[in-house]
Amino acid sequence: MTTKNAIALAVILIIFGLAAWIILPIDGERFGRQGMQLGLDLVGGVHLVYQADFPEDATPEEQRADMNRALLTIERRIDQYGVTEPIIQQVGSDRILVQLPGFTDIDAAKRLVEQTGFLEFREVELNANGEPVYLGGYLAESRNQFYNATEPEDRIFVDEDGIPIAFLVKTDDGIAFVDVEGNPVAQEKLQEYPMALSWIPARSDGGTHLTGEYLADSFPSLDQSGIAPKPVVSIQWSSEGGVYFDQIAKRLYNSGEYGTPQRALGIFVDSTLLSAPQILQPEYGGSGIIEGNFTREEAAELANMLKSGALPMPLKQPPLYQEKVSATLGADFIEMSVMAGIIGIVLVMLFMIAYYRLPGLLASLALIFYGVLVLAIFKLWPVTLSLAGLGGFILSIGMAVDANVLIFERMKEELRMGRTLGAAVEAGFNRAWSAIRDSNITTIIVCVILFWMGSVLVAGTPVKGFAWTLGIGVIISMFTAIVVTRTLLRLFIHGPLSRHTALFNIDRGKK
Amino acid sequence: MFDIIGKRFWFFLISGVIILIGIISLATVGLPRGIEFSSGSILTLSFEQPAEHDDFKQAISDLGYPDAIIQQIREGEFLIRTQELSDEEKTRIEDTLAGRFGQLSEAQFSSVSPMIASETTSDAIIAVIVSAIGILFYVTWAFRRMPKPLHYGTCAIVALVHDALIALGVFSILGAILGWEINLMFITGVLAVIGYSVNNTVVIFDRIRENLTRGIGASFEMVVNNSLVETLSRSVNTSLTTLVVVLALLLFVGASIQNFVVVLIIGIIAGTFSSICIAPSLLVVWDQGEWGRFIPQYKPFRAKD
Repeated sequence: MTTKNAIALAVILIIFGLAAWIILPIDGERFGRQGMQLGLDLVGGVHLVYQADFPEDATPEEQRADMNRALLTIERRIDQYGVTEPIIQQVGSDRILVQLPGFTDIDAAKRLVEQTGFLEFREVELNANGEPVYLGGYLAESRNQFYNATEPEDRIFVDEDGIPIAFLVKTDDGIAFVDVEGNPVAQEKLQEYPMALSWIPARSDGGTHLTGEYLADSFPSLDQSGIAPKPVVSIQWSSEGGVYFDQIAKRLYNSGEYGTPQRALGIFVDSTLLSAPQILQPEYGGSGIIEGNFTREEAAELANMLKSGALPMPLKQPPLYQEKVSATLGADFIEMSVMAGIIGIVLVMLFMIAYYRLPGLLASLALIFYGVLVLAIFKLWPVTLSLAGLGGFILSIGMAVDANVLIFERMKEELRMGRTLGAAVEAGFNRAWSAIRDSNITTIIVCVILFWMGSVLVAGTPVKGFAWTLGIGVIISMFTAIVVTRTLLRLFIHGPLSRHTALFNIDRGKK
Repeated sequence: MFDIIGKRFWFFLISGVIILIGIISLATVGLPRGIEFSSGSILTLSFEQPAEHDDFKQAISDLGYPDAIIQQIREGEFLIRTQELSDEEKTRIEDTLAGRFGQLSEAQFSSVSPMIASETTSDAIIAVIVSAIGILFYVTWAFRRMPKPLHYGTCAIVALVHDALIALGVFSILGAILGWEINLMFITGVLAVIGYSVNNTVVIFDRIRENLTRGIGASFEMVVNNSLVETLSRSVNTSLTTLVVVLALLLFVGASIQNFVVVLIIGIIAGTFSSICIAPSLLVVWDQGEWGRFIPQYKPFRAKD
């Protein structure tokens, strides 16, 4: 054994030991990485892609800023749910991708992401005599002007469940009733709700519309004042929000008797009226509660939504792409792919040993080294392993021995031409190199293109996983086949075993 | 010594017939597309009590989806494929089915909008074309020192188009018989096959390059044939080891990435055949300007110089 070879062997053993330590135990923590990162199809989870619905007049800069805020907002909302390693990212200029591994309630996930979460406070519009305005009023008089001309913003009319019936908006030639999407609303529908109140923005003395922007905090709590405790959301105003709120509270308190609409403060989230409590005192001093017909979970969801802030723009419905995989299905896949991997690797080793004898055995050792090293890289990088990614890894096992097959075939040819074993080994490695290099580069070209395709396509995550695992596999396999197998072979060609030509399956002279 | 190149016209004939059958199937039946390419929703439901396939189909039809495709995955588990479902529609289906067949759980759900489907289709086509062009350039570049490097690149491309056509043709037939659909993993498989096929072809071309540089062999045809024979056991062994692992994948992981695995199997077989029998034969045919002599009265053609 030459010194050079001994050093090479030592380095290989150290790398092997390190790689084995990294992956074992498979779910252990190494260098801050806990276990393998598994794709949605293996652990179960939800994958959603949304199209942002920007206002038509938004400039590209505004869209970019809105996009960043939207991503942050969604991230904050999801953080509260303790999803491990969620992915929230922008795709293209106007799409949002959300992946929640391990979170399999797709409907809850969609609520979490989709709700704009725009909290605003409204009060009832008053006519010139200080009386509340109803939908019936606008309809009866066929008015073409708002009752309260100083308030230019939309009026919202809601049904008994708080769901918006119509919005009354200012148009170029007066006013018009429209629905959420801006389409006209049929007169017949409006006439069903003559007693729906006209809600206008609640403004501070300075004219600031009180919205969720002025919240400092919100959390779910229980209102103990009734017979049964009632889930509510407690809110804490910011310092300016507290001032604005008290200004509004004072005005409403003084504008009507207890129990009249004039004294109600409407709490709206995404244009839906949650509750309309009566103002009981002229000052609240910075905090309050939002009542509504909530369950505890809904109260927690709303509090989370309010705390994380509103989305700067709505997301188009339905999502462009949605996918949900249950966790049990994923667990089956892991077990099956591990089986496939083990069976595959064993069969390849058996074949190599049967066909190439001693070199085949050494190539099998190199294959084990290969498998351990690649898994260690997957764990540390980390590469997200999906079913397709595992497929790519298993496929790369079959391809990893290709370099060895090329070398061994070459060695056999050199031996047939009468070279000594040592010379044949060296020639085999040197001559096979150009074929190994050129053929693997074509595979890498394909991996790069697959990676691109996997990145631009919203459903492309598995493709990307496959491209990663196959690409890493191909590169590592060149290293193991050339460096590891050669070092191991050199150990033997100078030793006593080299005289047993049967071990090398040489058919010397037979051609 | 095997004479592989001498049988080149038989190889062309075999490939030609297989591809022709595939093209006929593609032209008549086409390729059934999965929701990633055609848009729609797939809902997989597991029931606690097993339900009959026919009853289930009737129930879905009653719900207003007579065109839905229903597959029974296993006892008590059904896959329903429809046009894109809204949240309300999905809830209605699940509630109605739960009322009729008892407790259910949603094992899998995916839904693709038409916009995404058309983007996926065009991007997949672009990916396949860009791969082919990239490989053409690379192979031409790798053999730049040889006379006529473009011949090598072009023949490698013809071999990979050959493999892709066979895979598409077989899938069209499988689609007609077994109702299989092509999905994104199918395209991934096709691209992997393209890489694999060229990988094999390049190894053989590499040997031709080496033997030509050494100047051994009486004629180009002889050099190509010798190079093929010398690399034959490598070609077969590598294909075997790859096939073995892919078969292990098919047996154990099976249904969920079936498309991907089956396209790999077809591609490995077609790719091995094309890199041994088609690509080098084409090189010879092109080099010797035999394009006109394809069909009848073929006499084994021996080089003169």
